[in-house]
Parts: sequence; structure tokens; C-alpha cells
Amino acid sequence: MGDGRAGGANRPAWLQQYELIGKIGEGTYGLVFLARLKPSHPAPGRRGPPIAIKKFKQSKEGDGVSPTAIREIMLLREINHENVVKLVNVHINHADMSLYLAFDYAEHDLYEIIRHHREKLNSSINHYTVKSLLWQLLNGLNYLHSNWIIHRDLKPSNILVMGEGEEHGIIKIADFGLARIYQAPLKPLSDNGVVVTIWYRAPELLLGGKHYTSAVDMWAVGCIFAELLTLKPLFQGVEAKNNPNPFQLDQLDKIFKVLGHPTVEKWPTLANLPWWQNDQQHIQGHKYENPGLHNIVHLPPKSPAFDLLSKMLEYIILLSSLYDPRKRITAAQALEHEYFRMDPLPGRNALLPSQPGEKVVQYPVRPVDTTTDFEGTTSLQPTQPPSGNAPPGGQAVARSMPRQMPQQPMVGMQRVAAGANIAAFNAQAGMAGLNPGNIPMQRGAGGQSHPHQLRRKADQGMGMQNPGYPQQKRRF
Amino acid sequence: MAANFWTSSHCKQLLDPEDVDVVPAADRERGITPEEFRLVKIHMSSHIWRLAQQVKVRQRVIATAVTYFRRVYTRKSMSEYDPRLVAPTCLYLASKVEESTVQARLLVFYIKKMCGSDDKYRFEIKDILEMEMKLLEALDYYLVVFHPYRPLLQLLQDAGITDLTQFAWGLVNDTYKMDLILIYPPYMIALACIYIASVLKDKDITSWFEELRVDMNIVKNISMEILDFYDTYKIDPQRGIPEDKISPVMNKLPAKA
Repeated sequence: MGDGRAGGANRPAWLQQYELIGKIGEGTYGLVFLARLKPSHPAPGRRGPPIAIKKFKQSKEGDGVSPTAIREIMLLREINHENVVKLVNVHINHADMSLYLAFDYAEHDLYEIIRHHREKLNSSINHYTVKSLLWQLLNGLNYLHSNWIIHRDLKPSNILVMGEGEEHGIIKIADFGLARIYQAPLKPLSDNGVVVTIWYRAPELLLGGKHYTSAVDMWAVGCIFAELLTLKPLFQGVEAKNNPNPFQLDQLDKIFKVLGHPTVEKWPTLANLPWWQNDQQHIQGHKYENPGLHNIVHLPPKSPAFDLLSKMLEYIILLSSLYDPRKRITAAQALEHEYFRMDPLPGRNALLPSQPGEKVVQYPVRPVDTTTDFEGTTSLQPTQPPSGNAPPGGQAVARSMPRQMPQQPMVGMQRVAAGANIAAFNAQAGMAGLNPGNIPMQRGAGGQSHPHQLRRKADQGMGMQNPGYPQQKRRF
Repeated sequence: MAANFWTSSHCKQLLDPEDVDVVPAADRERGITPEEFRLVKIHMSSHIWRLAQQVKVRQRVIATAVTYFRRVYTRKSMSEYDPRLVAPTCLYLASKVEESTVQARLLVFYIKKMCGSDDKYRFEIKDILEMEMKLLEALDYYLVVFHPYRPLLQLLQDAGITDLTQFAWGLVNDTYKMDLILIYPPYMIALACIYIASVLKDKDITSWFEELRVDMNIVKNISMEILDFYDTYKIDPQRGIPEDKISPVMNKLPAKA
């Protein structure tokens, strides 16, 4: 990299302040890189802070800067909170009309932390960590909500956790590409033509509710809380994709099965929700009587943790009477909940061991594809041996391969020959449904597809063996 | 913070009056006087306005666009940033920020329709998209703008003079022909418009103003500026500044390459 091959002549000056390490993610919007800010006074052994750089491609022909990038810029330029990702800079490369957002780098995220416990450690996350993560998530969210910002896309992969250093174990809410200021009523997401994961979507939206409120974020927090406890997504519905804004029957069914079927008596505004009203899918049919949430999350029904969780997963969001306690809890109220006042108390570093002397969990670092430059072009030079940041196996190489193939077949071929690796094999095997040992797929592998595409592949290919852990799109 | 004016980038960026109407060096060299500089800004604000009527966006979007436009020229020269291109691009960017995106090709279409005869106003989609990026940079990526409209409605309600809403709203619209939004907190501009409206419509709300505990000197100063503006520029809102007055000034600016 750094050979200046692509766009070299027009390389913008701002690029000089970074030392590129490699690519750490890819999505529909563009690429994410890991870089280090060069120290202003270079000295041997001195390294600048790590920065995640999100590169936005020009979206479609004639659309200019993507609305996603605009939302992130306009919101993150205004806000400042310990539990919200920090936008440190914005850069533009006028030559190819690309836009770069530079963030403080976070080594971990909840998606990977949960996965590490589920697939590698086979043990749950300790109570102190769960509580600290949840408290910080609520703390950041309370800040956003009190500033009239709804995130609208909270899910484990968007909740970053800082790696070792000054801010170790601190949560950063990230990815504000769908976030909105909600002084005026908000239109449904489908009006923006965007697709978001349905597993964390609130029932009022699944039932066709037209307006977003901050309560949708609290529903997602409830889902994430349960997932931190059980290491499994709470409501893993299969997404319907038959038309632009399909009715997500399976997702609602998953929710009703666990929380009990809602009734108009319990949830008066239910009758106004479009999908409930027209009831073509017979969702009004009273099927599930006994809520079984406490069995799923293995919490005693009388425990404060369960009380908090069930208040986050409350159907009702509007007060039927001023003192009706049955209403989804707000972030501000949740922070005051008894759960956070009992031992273990939540802490600033969520990743500390809960007891002195207890072993510290070493979470894996993000895989870095060190062969890609800022243009997303793979270097022709032999790859350096993986640095401290690189993943074992260099699976990220395999990920970038298919796209490179048509343009630069030689590069791709060399790579396969030289760097043939287990991860690439797994990825392909997994996709094709030939993963008999159910080897967990490496994060890097196949990461360039959209999460939904991947989930579909996983559903078809791996069927029962792996009921739908999507290889989520890497954010950063 | 996004919904709290006092901690917003808008608040932090407010300028002193003397820093707003400074003609950039490059424009001074082309013989643009402070008066002409002001005239171009008025002219282009109404250009944005008329374009916005065509593409049908909310008042808020227009107000944000004009604010961007005026902010740009506290930092950049008109010689370098052609106002004829900056204006529609501000509308383009504002429409995205205010979540009511207007497509660039639609803007290009209506610009052609509006200024068909004048080649200097005609731009291609590519020009707008390139300028969008330069604008983001020139605005230092601060995009959230507060406006007097919301406080205006709240204050009128509070003062119990909602019958003046339409009149006061029109006054607020006209404040965007000036640089007030770069200088004063939006609620102070709203108060000045209410003050003017109450005086002109003979509503005595002196006691209400006293209870507000705001600096009435500032409110009155803003009001005087607005009234002075009406005296100086008797602008036809439909057509903006007359052609014979603005053309010579625009001709001092370099035409597009």
C-alpha cells in the first residue's frame, strides 16, 4: 500500500497525517479502515492513537454525498458524550468525490464479545460486565434521547467497546446513519428506503406504527440486554422480503411467543396499528398465553434484573393514564432502576474481572486486511507478515478477493495460491452448506456481503446446523 | 447537542455584527463594495427562495439553505465560490439535512426553467455535486441550524397574540434577506419580529416583554435593523432585486469556467 497507484497523483494532503494499517470492514456505504494518527513529534517507539476511518463512496449516480453520511456528520458534529463514538475528523477527496469520517477506534463491539463467549469460551458474560455494559449503553442513550435524537438502529454490532488504554471497557454507541432528530414526527424507515435488522425492531413498528419515538431504542436495548445474558438473540425472526415493506409475521410471532400475545385490553392503541387492524395474517388470534421470558433469560421473575428487562420489553409506549406503570421504561428511568444500585455496581471499565483475582477475558482484536489501501485497492506487493493487529490466518484477504478478481485476476490468483487459508475454505464451505462440523465462520470471511444476503445464504445453506447467526456487516 | 441551542455548533458560531459583512479580499479586488456584497446576498437568497418554491420544500429547508449560503461568504469569496452555483447547492444540501431530499437533477431542471436565458446561472448535476463537497468543507461540517420559527410560535402562544402569527411569520421570512441568523440567537430574532408585529398592529404586550427578562435593548436593536432593511430595500418578494441593479454587480464576478 501507499504506492500511490490508484489516484496517487491526486492524493490529498490530509492523508499524510495518517498511517494506514488496513481495512477492517466493508458495507454497502463503503469501506472502513484502521489507521494511526501520526504523532506530531515523531520519535522512535511513539505511536499515534488508532483511528477508524469510514470511507463513503458516492452513492448512486447523481445523488451526491449519501444521506447516511450527512446524518452521521450533522449529528456527531453536535454531540459529545463518553458513551457515544467520537467523530474526530471529516475529510474529502475531491478527486474521486469520496468522503472520509475519522472516529476514535474501538477494538471491540458487543457482537464480537457475545460471539466470543458463545463460540470460544462457552461461558456467560459475568454479571459485573453485563451490568456495566448495559448501564453505559443506557447512559449514552439517555444523552441522545434528552437531545431528541433517536438512534433507530441499535444492535450489538453498533455498540462498540474500547480496547486497552485510557478508555478500556467503555461503551461507545456508533453508526448514526439512521439516527434522526425527532422534534417533528418521524416517517417510517421504509420511507427512507432503508433496511435494518428486524431482530431488534420494536413491536409497534412491526405492526405498522408510523412514527418513531425514543421507545424503539429502548426495545432494542431490552433485546441486547437479554442477548448479553443468554448469548443468543432474543427474537430471531426470519425476515420477510416479499415486497418493499413486508409484514414481519415471523418476527412478531417470536416476540408474542416469549412475551405473551398482546390484547387491546392491555394495549389500547394496538387497535390503531395498521397490521393489527387489517389482520390478514390472523395475528389477532389469541395464541400465546404464558409469557416465558424469565425461563429464556434464566432470571428469577422477582429479580431486579428481570424487572428491568421486562420493563424494556413492555408493549405499551403511550401512557393510558398518567400513573400507569405498565409503560416501556425510558433510558433515564432505567438508569435509576434498583438493578444498578445493587452489587455488583456498574463500573467505568466494563471489561474488568468482577472479582479480584478472577481471570481477565482476552477478547480477540479486529481482523485487519493489511493489503488494502485507502482506495480499497489490494496491493500487488507480497503482504507483510501480520502485525499485532492482524488476525490469525489472514482471512480478511480472502474476503477482499472475490471483488478484486474480475479487475485484477492475477492478484486474486496469487493470493489464493500463496495465502490459501482455512478461513477462506470455511467461508466457501459454509456458504455452500458444506460445513458439517459447524466450524464457526471467521468474522472476516465473507464479510463484504450485506448482512441480509448473508443471512439468507446461511438460512439456505446451513439450515438447522446454524440457525441464522448472520455474519454481520462490519462497522468498525 | 442537536436540540439544545445553547450547546449547539450554531450558538458557538455566532458572529459579531462587524465580522459578518466583510467583503473578502478577492472580491474587493474585483471592485465589489460592501453595499454590492450585501446586494448579491439578498439577490441570491431570493434566488434560493424562488427555486425552493419550484421544488416545493418546507420553509425550514429554505431557511437552512440561506443560512448555509450566508455562512459560506463569511469565509469564502464570491470570486472563488460562484454564488450562482453555491445558492442551489445550499438548497440541495439543506434538503438532505432536513430529511426532504431534492434530487440534483430536479434542481438543475428548475434552474434551467427559471434562468433559461442566462447562461451564467445554468449548471449541470456534476457541478452541484462537486460544490456540495466544497460546501461541506466550507461549513466546517457543521450542518445543524436553528431557526426562529419554532420559538416564534411558542412565544406568540405564550403572549396570547396568535392572531399575529401570519404577520410575524412573514417578518421572520424576511430576516433571511439579512445576516441576522449569523449574529443573534434565533429566539431573539423571533422576539424582534413579535415586537415589530405588536407595534405595527397596536397590540400592547409591554408587560409580557418585561416578564421575559430578556435584554430588550438587543430585541429593539434587531427590530431597528429589520425596519431599516425594509426602508433601504423595497424589494418585490416575487422578483427580488431588479435586473438593472443586480446585473452590473454580478458581472464583476468571474463567470463559470
